[in-house]
Amino acid sequence: MANLGPAYYAPYPVATYDGLLTPPEGKAMLLTDIVDEEVAMREVARVMLTSDNATIFPGPQVLYAWSEEAKKKATLIKEMSEVLNAKMIPMYDYRPKYPKIDPEVEINPNHPNLTIWHNNIKAAIFIGVHCHYANVALKIVRSETDCYTIGMCALSGHEDAMATIRDQHAEDLARFIEIAKEVKQELGK
Amino acid sequence: MSIKNMTKEKNWSGQKLVSTDYMLFEAPREKHFMTGSEVTKEAIKRCTVDASVSYPITPQSEAAHLIGELWAEGYVGMYFRGENEFGVMSEVAGCAMAGARTVTTTSGPGTLRAMENFPMWSGTRIPVQLILMARGINSPLTIQPDNLEVTFMLETGCMIWYAENVQELFDMTIAGFTVAEMPDVHVPIVTVVDGFFVSHTRESVMLPPDDIALMPYDPYKAPLPPIDSEMPPGRFLRDPFVMKSNYISYATHASWQWEVRSAVDRSIPYARHYLNGLAHVTGDLDAEIVFVACGTASHQAKEANRELTKLGIKSKVVKLRTIRPFPHAELLEATKSAKHIFVPEFNIVGWLEKEVTQSLYGKSEAKIIGRPRVAGGMSMPVEAILHEVLEHVNEEKGA
Amino acid sequence: MSVDIYKINPEFRDIMPKDILDLEDNATWGAEKRGISDLTDKKELLEEHSLCAGCPEAAALRYILTAIPKPEDTIIVNSTGCTSLMFPHIALHTVHSLFGNQNAVASGIKRALTWRFPDKDKDVVVLAGDGATVDIGLDYTLQSFFRQEKITTICFDNEVYANTGGQESGSTPKGQVFKMAPKGKVFDKVPMWELAVTSGCQYSVKLTASAPKAVARVVREAIFIARELGPTYIHLYTPCILEIGLSASEGLWEMKEQDKDRFVSFKYVSPEAEEFLKQCKKEGRL
Repeated sequence: MANLGPAYYAPYPVATYDGLLTPPEGKAMLLTDIVDEEVAMREVARVMLTSDNATIFPGPQVLYAWSEEAKKKATLIKEMSEVLNAKMIPMYDYRPKYPKIDPEVEINPNHPNLTIWHNNIKAAIFIGVHCHYANVALKIVRSETDCYTIGMCALSGHEDAMATIRDQHAEDLARFIEIAKEVKQELGK
Repeated sequence: MSIKNMTKEKNWSGQKLVSTDYMLFEAPREKHFMTGSEVTKEAIKRCTVDASVSYPITPQSEAAHLIGELWAEGYVGMYFRGENEFGVMSEVAGCAMAGARTVTTTSGPGTLRAMENFPMWSGTRIPVQLILMARGINSPLTIQPDNLEVTFMLETGCMIWYAENVQELFDMTIAGFTVAEMPDVHVPIVTVVDGFFVSHTRESVMLPPDDIALMPYDPYKAPLPPIDSEMPPGRFLRDPFVMKSNYISYATHASWQWEVRSAVDRSIPYARHYLNGLAHVTGDLDAEIVFVACGTASHQAKEANRELTKLGIKSKVVKLRTIRPFPHAELLEATKSAKHIFVPEFNIVGWLEKEVTQSLYGKSEAKIIGRPRVAGGMSMPVEAILHEVLEHVNEEKGA
Repeated sequence: MSVDIYKINPEFRDIMPKDILDLEDNATWGAEKRGISDLTDKKELLEEHSLCAGCPEAAALRYILTAIPKPEDTIIVNSTGCTSLMFPHIALHTVHSLFGNQNAVASGIKRALTWRFPDKDKDVVVLAGDGATVDIGLDYTLQSFFRQEKITTICFDNEVYANTGGQESGSTPKGQVFKMAPKGKVFDKVPMWELAVTSGCQYSVKLTASAPKAVARVVREAIFIARELGPTYIHLYTPCILEIGLSASEGLWEMKEQDKDRFVSFKYVSPEAEEFLKQCKKEGRL
């Protein structure tokens, strides 16, 4: 099963070696379970609202105004951070940065754990990060931190995240925000 | 011919765009009689291919010529002859990184000359299709069929599928682009056939009409931005020296490599769908004698199965259609009844036998026999297979 | 769309570092004239790198990046070597593939982009060291010239394999003692700029990086010619001060010395390219 928590220093085992693959279309995945998207959205909202230093990591596909979809998503992600009481730390590019990153204000896919450790982040949403770099980062985070990772993906999802919701376009983010508002109210947060 | 001629309904050559499901499973088909090289042309013609780079080497040259003809006829966007296979595989990588649906072909020594490129391909997550028409590798020189080269490809991080005949080559080529381009897969696909036995043999083949073609490739769904300055981040190196990242950067390289292998695994459900299963089983399902093979060796194993049936000996054939991902679950299921597993191969090292042995280790009590093995262009007569089977079975009976 | 990939969504401006904000606000994009004078007050496309202090290669790359005419539509293809330590930090789409295959990869990229974007100029520039260009990648370099690929190839010649610890290269002058040539190199420096001419380049220039404006002018000319006519080649001396025992401040001096010696100016322009350059000047593009 997908391990939540430190697995020593190597990004092993990866989720596919536990037989986990990206969820089928129309479904989401919570740890090892394939679930309905709404179930996952509720759980993700609950985890974000109840974990210390919950953070959203927006990636290049939403940070930059390169398409109409990106512009819409930017507005929604900003709103999402407010609803979830979450901080935002950008992954603005993928380079191994020289001389080093500032983990206070940025996250880098080559050593994402630095940012998570530094800010003691216990739950995080990756959104707008290209799938390859999201997966490289999620494997490292999965093995080296106890952060609950959430892959909100516009494409097929991420089995190395603790929770993954796939095919998330602007209208889906809007729906998630509404669900998050309900969960927030239920939790009295 | 220009990409500007493409509409939502038609590609630049005027073919109607259809889904892969329609192309493979629904479109009406007509019978034709052609070689593996000729059917490669027919498959590529229906795939809305942007780019191809070629280089002569027997036995794949004819397939490469015919892709060139498709370019001249306006079906393939761009095409040229590269300087050698190392160059070709790098040129192909450039095409694919720049967002083009790309195909190339090679054989034996060409594969080995190009070798450094293949892990680079998978590492940079390009969905290139390489149609590999296997032949022997030097030394000494031979142009004859022999699939030793496949063993060198096994750990490159590319998907490897193996077609038995002309029909499978056609269908796999079409499915190959589709599965390789899935956003969560997006690694190269190596579609292998045995050179000459498939490339040069004329067979009956059922083809859908040639006025339909696959939807174009969408590079903006790739797991890495295409190199075209049209997608953020604007600052983007494909691919960086990760060791220059500070702090625990070894984790990046390790994670990256795991990710490529994960991507190959993610192809399993897609491949099961488009290939109608990763393995095909024929013969007596409860047989204790099981042949596990791929390519034309599985054809010969099926012949042996028929001969054994005449002798009253039950057997079955498990034809592996994907080698990467390796169909562990299918193999285990199909060999449950087995007491003797024969792995006939067209090479001297027995790479498939090693794969089968490793996959079944601790899970099967069957004896795995890596025979017969032929190489260097030898054919695999059914008698050779029967000889191995009868020898082992009689030995056990104390005859 | 190309410039839009640098534009930050307003919702995120407050969380983006200044370096990234500057790229949008203060770098020179678009069709405006760019050049060496931008180095003083514009955001550069390369600011961080891990080369040695005083390395002329880093300076040369800065000159080149300020000179490329349309950075937002320029792809740079690199090879293994010292330059690849700078590449992750260039604010453009760049490629590092294998050691020596740079001109092959660039050929594929250029042709695919020409096919995909028939109405847009997408410039492809190869930037590699002498080992990559003259030794391990020579076949691919020359073959791209033979094929008349519309790309610009720039060789950073430091006359040595520097990144691997100072071994002799084909570009090392005869007699020089380096690792793997413990008795001194036994054959002459490979005249790559001449090979470029006989192999079909429309434009081939040899110079040092001692004069920034000269480098910038050559780069601009080479890219314009490649866009319209065919392959162009620039052979640029960027000494490895470490391997020839100079201090961080002596790189410029060394280049100026070599302006008079091994790197005395060489310039070939094909008659067709000559005509084209005249036209560019008339149009104010140069």
